[in-house]
Amino acid sequence: MKRRNFVAGIVCAGLLAGNMGFAALAQTPEASPVAGVKTGESVKAMLLPKFLGISVFDQANKGAQEAAKELGSQPPDFVGPTAENSVAGQIEFMTNAPTGGYQVVMLSNNAGEQIAPAAEAAQAAGTKVVTWDSPIPDAKGESFFVAQVDFNETGKVMADMALNILGEQGGEFAILSASPDAANQNAWIAAMQEALKDPKYANLKLLEIVYGDDESEKSYTQAQALISKYPDMKLIMAPTSVGIVSAAKAVQDEGLCDDIKVSGLGAPDEMEAYTLNGCAPEFALWSFVDLGYLTYYASYLLVTGQIEAKDGQTFTAGRMGEYTITKDPTRPDVDALRILMGPFSIYNKDNVKEAAAALKS
Amino acid sequence: MARELLRRLRSWEGLLFVLLLVVLAYNIARVPNFLTVTNQVNLFQLGIEKAIVVLVMTFVIISGEIDLSVASMMGLSAATAAYLFQSGVPMVVAILVALAVGAGFGLINGYFVAVVGLSSLAVTLAGYVGFRGLARLLVQDNSVGGFPEWFTDLGQKGLVGPLTLSILLFFILAIIGTIVLHFSGLGRLTYVIGNSAAVARYSGVSVVRTRLIIFTMSGFISALAGVLMAARLGAVRASTAEGFELDIITVVLLGGVSIFGGVGSMIGVLLSTYLVLNLRNGLVIAGVTGNTQTGIIGLLLILSVLVPNLANQAREWWRRRQADANARAPAEPVVEPTRSQAASG
Amino acid sequence: MSDAILRRIRPEQFREVILLIVTIGLLAFFATQIPDYFNARSVNRLTTGLAIPLVVAVGQVLVVLTRNIDLSVSSIVGLSAYMVGTMLTRDTGIPPIVAALAAMAIGLVLGVINGLIVAYGGVPAIIATLGTLALYRVALVEFSGARTVTTADLPAWLNDVPSATVASFANYDLRLTVAIALVVAILGQLTLRYLPFGRRLYAIGSNPDAARMAGLPAKRDVFTAFVICGTLSGLAGFMFLVRFGNITVTAAQGLELQVVAAVVVGGVNIFGGSGSMVGALLGVLLIEVLQQSLLRWAGMSEFVKDAILGLLILVAVTADTVILGRLREMWVRVRRRDQARAHEATMTDEGGLAHGA
Repeated sequence: MKRRNFVAGIVCAGLLAGNMGFAALAQTPEASPVAGVKTGESVKAMLLPKFLGISVFDQANKGAQEAAKELGSQPPDFVGPTAENSVAGQIEFMTNAPTGGYQVVMLSNNAGEQIAPAAEAAQAAGTKVVTWDSPIPDAKGESFFVAQVDFNETGKVMADMALNILGEQGGEFAILSASPDAANQNAWIAAMQEALKDPKYANLKLLEIVYGDDESEKSYTQAQALISKYPDMKLIMAPTSVGIVSAAKAVQDEGLCDDIKVSGLGAPDEMEAYTLNGCAPEFALWSFVDLGYLTYYASYLLVTGQIEAKDGQTFTAGRMGEYTITKDPTRPDVDALRILMGPFSIYNKDNVKEAAAALKS
Repeated sequence: MARELLRRLRSWEGLLFVLLLVVLAYNIARVPNFLTVTNQVNLFQLGIEKAIVVLVMTFVIISGEIDLSVASMMGLSAATAAYLFQSGVPMVVAILVALAVGAGFGLINGYFVAVVGLSSLAVTLAGYVGFRGLARLLVQDNSVGGFPEWFTDLGQKGLVGPLTLSILLFFILAIIGTIVLHFSGLGRLTYVIGNSAAVARYSGVSVVRTRLIIFTMSGFISALAGVLMAARLGAVRASTAEGFELDIITVVLLGGVSIFGGVGSMIGVLLSTYLVLNLRNGLVIAGVTGNTQTGIIGLLLILSVLVPNLANQAREWWRRRQADANARAPAEPVVEPTRSQAASG
Repeated sequence: MSDAILRRIRPEQFREVILLIVTIGLLAFFATQIPDYFNARSVNRLTTGLAIPLVVAVGQVLVVLTRNIDLSVSSIVGLSAYMVGTMLTRDTGIPPIVAALAAMAIGLVLGVINGLIVAYGGVPAIIATLGTLALYRVALVEFSGARTVTTADLPAWLNDVPSATVASFANYDLRLTVAIALVVAILGQLTLRYLPFGRRLYAIGSNPDAARMAGLPAKRDVFTAFVICGTLSGLAGFMFLVRFGNITVTAAQGLELQVVAAVVVGGVNIFGGSGSMVGALLGVLLIEVLQQSLLRWAGMSEFVKDAILGLLILVAVTADTVILGRLREMWVRVRRRDQARAHEATMTDEGGLAHGA
């Protein structure tokens, strides 16, 4: 038995060494597997969301496919990790992108700074990295970030919605976020706390920030716990599309829609019922289809050398018109570039039905 | 000779070896740039921390226990090192403390299993929740980075040729692991305890001490893997290595180690490690989504046991039919070793 | 503990009592920390949270008793919740009972697959169900096409079911879903106690080889256990849909560990052969109390909770085991003393013929 294992081990080790040795001999020095492309040529692109199975990312993919078709390029590969393996999976895709011959990776980052070494390596090997929805915080390895809205403005919009709902007398509210590691939620919440310092919002009192990890059951339970914990709470602010519907359902199931309101960032088609019945009178979002479209357009122009990733570069993105690359004012400490899409759409009982219908069609 | 070869190929390791050849052949033929140095290094680098923990998990499972807390421990050690570094402690000291924390909590796990006599599933489940909680407590919702360059270089750059420290450590630990498991007293005790802790105790084996050593090592190696991961990624979050425990256990089981203990070999585990690394690499480069990758590995896990078992059943059924047909000369019943009967190792 | 009681009952039967004491201890502790801890609304929330893990735990106990495990339960819950949700979105006229049965049917099919692979394919349960845990989740992601099932598209009755109440006592409600879960648990306990199938599960788990030798239909029983576990997970999937309304591809992720934790804490031996539904119920209760109470503990920062939860699980399990161990020692001592007395008695009576008992 032992002898057999030993023989198998030697064979295995030999195979391994041979494999790596062969690789070492075959390719020194190594040519980059990423080919250059010119205007009008097809681009091999990867659209890498946080994970698959979330409707907003599919909407972004719809937009990206539309742009690729317009530009006469092959459709981008829409791949992503599983929800439970999001961080490691994104790093895996990023690291292997140059080997797979991808000219650009369009990333909605869920790995924080942890993906930076992989992104830098990809850039060094000739694969451009463009972020959308959620940037690489230290901007390392990132060509530029296509921002859906201004992150500082998000904070102000959330504060305004809270003020609108609670009125001049204000009141206590809590924030139900995604996970504590979600970079964009953290940025928005920080921006909101900054905005709240304005005396205009003096009557709004933030009780606590809790996390539902973007799972509907955990978000629901967290919302219930908030209701138990703070009898005087008037509002739950959830800057995540999963959190906001779960919070709205929890409040509705408790029969407390008259006392506690829900607001934040949410998808109109998911929020319609709660907005119409008064549980969530007002919330905001942007178009993910447009975000995907703009991201693909900018990425294509970058890869084909029609634009450069530098401050002041302007370009026209098909149906969406003209945009300019600027320094990212929401990340002042690092050397980051940004394309700002905007604007926010604020939804209430007057326009939610129409928006929901448009998304469902 | 040919028959002997065939018999060997029918063993668990043989099956894995054939599977590995198939995957390798596919990757070499179909995956662009598979054989480049960069890709071979990437192939190992991306799963290297899991591969390192797999080595020690093999000991844990062969001894008839389980450690669900390994991934949380990786997160905790990374968070400990990051927290200390951030509060001004020199990086080397921070790393040493993180490793000590790993060994310490491993020992605590071991104490509750070996001395108090709780089930390892319950104890390490508490660790799974609790260690992650401690990591969360240390770094909260921050991302801690800005480590000294020598530290991140160790994780990202080649130390000997293109081989990084993690890859070298993995090979060294794999060799040590193989020797300890198959050629040392501790290894023999691991098997004996895994086969029956009660028998081991009656025959004078120090079950308690062996278990303490194994769980302490599990904590220590997991902590080491966590620090290596911090170096590779250059930043630490409380969620570092979240969800790795199931991947790690999957690889060990695929390697032919019985979940009930006492059975398995390091060679099988190394083969399955290399197999899964190759599979992942090929699938990612081919642009296969994470869900499908997970599905394929899940399917492989089931089929690798199911197909040989069914083949055996079919063969036995056929033999019995033959035997019935010429009842005058009944064939010898030959029992093939099946996975569930656990006859390898 | 008086000797008289110890003479009558074996310490293993105290297991549930000990768990109950530990749980009550925890409740008492949290009551001192959280103001208005026992108000009706909060208690209702806590009990409602029990329903889903309890139903899955009942199925899991059947499987674990046979020295197997089903890790795929969370994917079954997610997949059946999603599929039935989609079904109801397309045709809002489907009556509740049909929807529930459909969810159970989906769970049954998935349970049959598990059962076939484990019982007849000879694949160790942990390998088989680790595999199907991944595969069923993949099926969910593929099936969903990234659409979320939302409450708004579901029939109106689904909104009323979560707050539907069977009985009410001064605002303390027994919700319909909880009542169903309790009925499932009671049926499970009765099955284990009185049906030959239930008794056989213990025999198979205690010693699979002996059970086979004795001619028990071990394969069929293991298969049945997996099928029941799958079906109950399907039912839990329906409850999940009812309770949370919004179903994404991550639905119920991680539930498998919560349920296994509850079952283990509830004193069911993970290597088969011993345990009860009452224990599982108490295990589910204990974990749920811990989780919910930590969430409501106002002085407690969001970042400390998991560390405390881990510690409390360890404390609960240790307390349980240590108390049980003590009781067993006392039991053995009482037994020995009684035996010794009986022995002395027989020695004097019959001149030392009887040896040991």
